Amino acid sequence: MRLTRRPRIKNLRAEAAQFRRRAVVAGVLVALALFGLAFGYFRLQVLQHEEYQLRSEANRIKPRPIVPARGLIYDRNGRLLADNVPAYRLELVPEQVGNLEATLQGLAELVELDEEDIARFHETRRATRAFRPIPLKLRLTEAELSRLAVNRHRFPGVEVVPYLIRRYPYGELFSHVIGYVGRVDAADLQAMGDSRDAARTHIGKAGLERYYEERLRGEIGYEEVETNVEGRALGVLRRHGARPGADLHLSVDARLQQAMVDAFEGQHGAAVAVDPRTGEILGMVSLPGYDPNLFVTGISHKDWQALQGPARPLFNRNVLGGFPPGSIIKPFMALAGLEMGLRRPEDTMLSTGEFFLPGQERGYRDWRRGGHGRVDLRESLAQSVNSYYFQLAVEMGVDRMDAWFGEFGFGHATGIDLVGEVEGVRPSRDWKRRRFNQPWYPGDTVNAAIGQGFWVTTPLQMAQATAALANGGIRHRLHLVKATQAGFDQPLVPEPQPPGVRVVKDPAHLAPVIDGMVAVVHGPTGTARSVGTGAPYRIAAKTGTVQRTSRRGNENIDPNALPYHLRHQAWMIAFAPADDPTIAVAVLVEHGGSGSRAAAPVVRRILDAWLLPPAEETAP
Amino acid sequence: MIAMLRWARDLVGRITDKLDLPLLLALLALMVISLVVLSSASDGNSRLVLSQGLRFAVGLGALVLISRIPPAKLRLWTPLAYAGSLALLSLVFVFGSGRSANLWLNLGVFYLQPGELLKLSVPMMLAWYLHSVVLPPRWGVLAVCAGIIGLPVGMVILQPDLGTGMLVLASGVFAVFLAGMAWWRIGLFAGLGLAALPVGWHFLMPYQRDRILTFLEPESDPLGAGWNIIQSKIAIGSGGLTGKGWGQGSQSHLNFLPEHTTDFVFSVLAEEWGWVGVVTVLALYLFVIGRCLWMAAQARDGYSRLLAGSLALAFSVYVIVNGGMVAGLLPVVGVPMPLLSYGGTSAVTLLAGFGMVMSVYAHRKFMG
Repeated sequence: MRLTRRPRIKNLRAEAAQFRRRAVVAGVLVALALFGLAFGYFRLQVLQHEEYQLRSEANRIKPRPIVPARGLIYDRNGRLLADNVPAYRLELVPEQVGNLEATLQGLAELVELDEEDIARFHETRRATRAFRPIPLKLRLTEAELSRLAVNRHRFPGVEVVPYLIRRYPYGELFSHVIGYVGRVDAADLQAMGDSRDAARTHIGKAGLERYYEERLRGEIGYEEVETNVEGRALGVLRRHGARPGADLHLSVDARLQQAMVDAFEGQHGAAVAVDPRTGEILGMVSLPGYDPNLFVTGISHKDWQALQGPARPLFNRNVLGGFPPGSIIKPFMALAGLEMGLRRPEDTMLSTGEFFLPGQERGYRDWRRGGHGRVDLRESLAQSVNSYYFQLAVEMGVDRMDAWFGEFGFGHATGIDLVGEVEGVRPSRDWKRRRFNQPWYPGDTVNAAIGQGFWVTTPLQMAQATAALANGGIRHRLHLVKATQAGFDQPLVPEPQPPGVRVVKDPAHLAPVIDGMVAVVHGPTGTARSVGTGAPYRIAAKTGTVQRTSRRGNENIDPNALPYHLRHQAWMIAFAPADDPTIAVAVLVEHGGSGSRAAAPVVRRILDAWLLPPAEETAP
Repeated sequence: MIAMLRWARDLVGRITDKLDLPLLLALLALMVISLVVLSSASDGNSRLVLSQGLRFAVGLGALVLISRIPPAKLRLWTPLAYAGSLALLSLVFVFGSGRSANLWLNLGVFYLQPGELLKLSVPMMLAWYLHSVVLPPRWGVLAVCAGIIGLPVGMVILQPDLGTGMLVLASGVFAVFLAGMAWWRIGLFAGLGLAALPVGWHFLMPYQRDRILTFLEPESDPLGAGWNIIQSKIAIGSGGLTGKGWGQGSQSHLNFLPEHTTDFVFSVLAEEWGWVGVVTVLALYLFVIGRCLWMAAQARDGYSRLLAGSLALAFSVYVIVNGGMVAGLLPVVGVPMPLLSYGGTSAVTLLAGFGMVMSVYAHRKFMG
């Protein structure tokens, strides 16, 4: 240990020199750091410029979808059946909303929001990608709009968006033709995936709206919008225009459609009117109907419940409904007899009231006790003589019947431009084995001869087959859309249809059948002669009555005495004018009693509406 | 008339005779750039630009005033200034106001950030102390220096204001460095500091840890903590070589860039003026720092030298830390870009500091 320490003396010169050295070192270090900084910026701004340029643009510019107007739907005379009207909806982007619960509560004070709205919002949200707007409430009222306008600043991420909403001016009248659009639901979103279509809020759910969805909705465009960090749009930079949906021009005539509904006078049932020359559907009703406008903004629980009754207003009987045809099958049987050479028109057959198969105890009855006496083809149709057709069917055999009716389109979907059409049942050995795993019995053939037993047909199939009788034996595809149009200033483009299929080999065979069908209405013995009186044109028709209760023993049941739901289904097919038909119809009246009493007046009213000069029309 | 003009010229000459013209011009250039960038970044908010201009005017006034005070007088007042700023700082703990940290003292007329004063008073105090001892400093002297630095820095960091604390620390450390602290001692301290890093981590506030983690991996939380850095880098990178043009920066004008008038103003400059603008401003900064160091070296006495030198180097810390931060090269620390960022007391303190440097240079011949 040193006891003394030499005190250090302050050396000013040395300190100054020391400082200068240190200052140089520090200066060099600072310069190096600043050069490093300059290089760091060089890397960002020059070397990686393009990457950051892109990211800056992506920040700034957001694509915003432009949803085109949905195609309009017109009737054959240019009446507007489905329209687009402007409306406003409330949307929000959950990721841009600070506190979602608080925002929803705040909005509920300005806008009427019920639990269904909130539940639907959450459901849609689950199926939607992040940062996409989710509709909360459609069709805001004027009062709601003004309240939102005042309070908008309080709700970041919430937008009031103008859009076009579907409106069906005729309401119920076309419910089973046009169908409706509904809100896109979670399943639809899944189906559309991440495509631009996800910007849509509505999609065709039923009827033509669904069948022609792809063409009606057009192609979504988008615009590049400059947005700030809150997502507020500041201006449009570029537009990639949307292609509007195609307009549909239907063959349906709104006036006839209304007449068809009126013709039912409140009864339930279905009717199809077609132009036999082309397969164009002139009118198609299924009653009762419903108001498609209810579905556009999302149907309320209450309204939905009201549509669930036993009358099934949502059920399109023409397309989905299967019914045994009954006696209206007879003209086709008669024609088959002629075509196959089994009968000549003048061949007669004795109706005794009951028909027996060899070796069977059970008899198959005519509808008139004691029979119709000796009848030829004409009378067999006019009076609807069952035994004539029992005998014919036994001679023809089920296999030939099967092939014949198959040609006429029975057991097949008609291919109408609607979704979910059923095929019905054309009885055959094959079908019975598949369905019941049972052999075919001769009695089955006899039942099939008069449209009973296993038969199931739709009003559409009946209309298609009837048109083939009327037009000289050609089966046309039934269709609702006659032409499409890309825009109001564009030409109408006829919708292509498959060529008609000739199903009657010798058209000359049709004349005696038509003659018999005319006798149904105009003959002295015709089952529907009551409706033929006073008609300024000739009608060819056939009535049918389908039993809902089987006849037991020998008693004859008066169909009109039965409880309503057990009454017979009344059918009638018809075309007119008989010598040059311009309209063919198939009418089904549910629970209507006999075809002649219930369906025939409906048919007459429909034919009158089409063939007689129109009365003044009133706008919807 | 001519007499009056001559009198005015004389007056101006007498007031400004202590100023260093090259340094003043460089500072004025930076201030002009600041006002131009701010008038774009503030989206035409002329009040913001005016208030920054006012701040510059006050700062320039302080600069002129202080440049006239001889360093000997400054030295005399130094302990008082140091004690006073410490007292104000402790007041902040009682009356302070601020958004996330108690940094501000409401003086009725304006808000004072006592942390700013420390940026001047701490190097002053160190220079005062080191001036009186034998240099280069040994352990005993260094311990006192550590105390002079550590007390205010600790208080500032507790506020908590990591940025100011760091700057105060840096200015103190530079004074000791310029005083000639032996390299081996520096090495020892640096080693100890590095070893203490993991311990220091525990004392950081959660948001400060976040910032460091974010710096290490900004893309890990692009909408949260990483947002600022990512948007700032996009702003800088998209500026390119020559920039998008004045008022054309989409990142700042559409509010993607946060704090674009204060801490991130340099990103706005980079976006709108490109790399050319960045290099121009960095060159101005380099000139200012170099000139200050040179002026410091001309001084005859230790106090003046150390004060001017450490102020110059502290200034460089601002530039490097802020410039590195907005480009994602350094962690986010609340350090403004000196003389460019809108705000607070910083512009005034900085200009006052340059006043001291100029005083040192102007009075170089009269001391020693």
